[in-house]
Amino acid sequence: MAETATEPLVKLRGIAKKFGPFVALNGVDMDIYPGEVHALLGDNGAGKSTLIKILSGVHQPSAGEIIVEGKTVVFRSPRDASAAGIGTVYQDLALNQLMSVSRNFFMGREIFKGPAPFGMMKLQEMDIITHDEMIKIGIDISDPHQAVGTMSGGQRQTLAIARAIYFGAKILILDEPTSALGQKQQMEVLKTIKRVRALGNIAIIFITHNEIHSKLIADRYTFLSLGEVIGSGTRESLDGDDIRRLMAGGAEMADLEMELGKI
Amino acid sequence: MQAERIESDRQVNQGAFRKFIRRPEIGAFSGMVVILLLLAIVAGDVVFNPLGIKNNLSIISQLGIIAIGACLLMIAGEFDLSIGSMIGFAGMSMAMMLKWGLPFGLGEASPFMAFTLTLCMTLFIGWIIGNIVVRSGLSSFIVTLAFLFILRGLTEVSFREFNEGSTQISGLPDFKETDFFAYLFGGETFKWAFTLLYEMGYNLNRLGNQWVIGLDAKVAWWICIAIITYIVLSRTQLGNWIYATGDNKESARANGVPVNQVKIGLFMFTAFCATIFAACQVFDTNTADAAKGNLKELEAIAAAVVGGTVMTGGFGSIVGVIFGAVIFGLVQNSVFYISWIDGSYYRVFLGTVLLIAAFANENIRKRITGGI
Repeated sequence: MAETATEPLVKLRGIAKKFGPFVALNGVDMDIYPGEVHALLGDNGAGKSTLIKILSGVHQPSAGEIIVEGKTVVFRSPRDASAAGIGTVYQDLALNQLMSVSRNFFMGREIFKGPAPFGMMKLQEMDIITHDEMIKIGIDISDPHQAVGTMSGGQRQTLAIARAIYFGAKILILDEPTSALGQKQQMEVLKTIKRVRALGNIAIIFITHNEIHSKLIADRYTFLSLGEVIGSGTRESLDGDDIRRLMAGGAEMADLEMELGKI
Repeated sequence: MQAERIESDRQVNQGAFRKFIRRPEIGAFSGMVVILLLLAIVAGDVVFNPLGIKNNLSIISQLGIIAIGACLLMIAGEFDLSIGSMIGFAGMSMAMMLKWGLPFGLGEASPFMAFTLTLCMTLFIGWIIGNIVVRSGLSSFIVTLAFLFILRGLTEVSFREFNEGSTQISGLPDFKETDFFAYLFGGETFKWAFTLLYEMGYNLNRLGNQWVIGLDAKVAWWICIAIITYIVLSRTQLGNWIYATGDNKESARANGVPVNQVKIGLFMFTAFCATIFAACQVFDTNTADAAKGNLKELEAIAAAVVGGTVMTGGFGSIVGVIFGAVIFGLVQNSVFYISWIDGSYYRVFLGTVLLIAAFANENIRKRITGGI
């Protein structure tokens, strides 16, 4: 839990990113601890996706540094980031619908014997690992040969998360994992996140628009607005009103109500 | 106990029969059984006698070889319309080397040298086609259509240039009698089976001697290619990559699948299949013709679709394509045995079956992706 993790797994210091004249991020600091869910909140265009793209190696920051386990790192590509233990689960999940669960789980990283790429896959072993890894975070798939297209949105999310963890992610970035789901499946995904958190050694960055979801599972918050951090803190240090105000980009609810009333 | 019900309980475990009828090959398999039964009733004595079997399997395997190439490429999400022209090109290249020797005056061409050099050329053309498709992002339909014209044109021009205006070469020496390598393509196989039949009292000609000696070598090529590609597609890492590439290439790429190399490799594989097709023809008949292989690419694609390959990629099987090739080959060949059917009904049949199969495949795809 939070008190055991004294040293952050990842530290971001002064991360800035410019696209031509446009300042997407203007000096962002963030500390991410293992065994915690860190909610990254902010309105559309606040810079959330730019920040996670920098963390996952898609973009390079214009300034600032990323420190993973005490060492400054430079990610030139997504491959570098995933080698450093950063696993990103994007909204499209990078799953193939017509392929089976275990073939998706090991897509591009198959277990095989013999010369690549003609090596024979160890299909049984792959099925067992897929099944076991998904049970660890709470979903018991009865048939690993089931096509991913027949799974629910929540199950797919779990598959993508289990895959990222199995292939060595210590920092798991979840890009709006609940946004495209129905109520019940949103809860499934939150449960999955909770179970990943309970593993204790994995830091989760949870990007969301949803205040309720963040309150349900987050240990720590960072609020972004117009490319800057406008507030951060642990669950204990922020109260509900703070969260709501910061989510609205710093606007007071009362002000908003007044503005709306005038129309 | 409603609360205990979990999401995965909704995936009902189906019995063996339900699983069986949802296999992608099932449509082609039932089609094949129906055709076999119909032919047995209508013309069983000519279609299933030793000579009929030999001739049918010859047509079937010929189509089967290129259909497997087309199928693998389609599973990876691309088309190759240049297969037919590639057959003509490869046949011309081999025949010209056999007749006039190696290029640049390097002397006599053995069948092995003629085949190997031709294969190098066709693989290189396949590599070029693949590179153009993956680098330009153009549809493979257009790129390979261009090569359909280019290769056919080049074949005709080369023939006329060297062959006094004729687009045919005939009267090559009968290499399969003297050269083992040529025999591999033009000779006969499964002789033991026909000898056995003869000894059992079937397979006799009018004089009471053995009638049919064996099957064409292309049958053995078809079987070998089918077994190897079946294992590659269903069991190996490369097979997983082929499916992943055709299903959703962006997610495949995000997981480290070398999507472009897979596609280029498969364009080379269709070129390989076309070259095998051409070699079997050249060494069997000792002739070559610039028009060889015309429209074969479309028949190959049709056989793949009837075999359950989905046009948009990501789904299909070798077993299905085998059934597809059997259906088309059988009907194509057998309508000529049945005197009261106009042979051109074969095309009507091909079109109708193709349409039905395409509907069925789309239905399966939608069911899997949750569209239904």
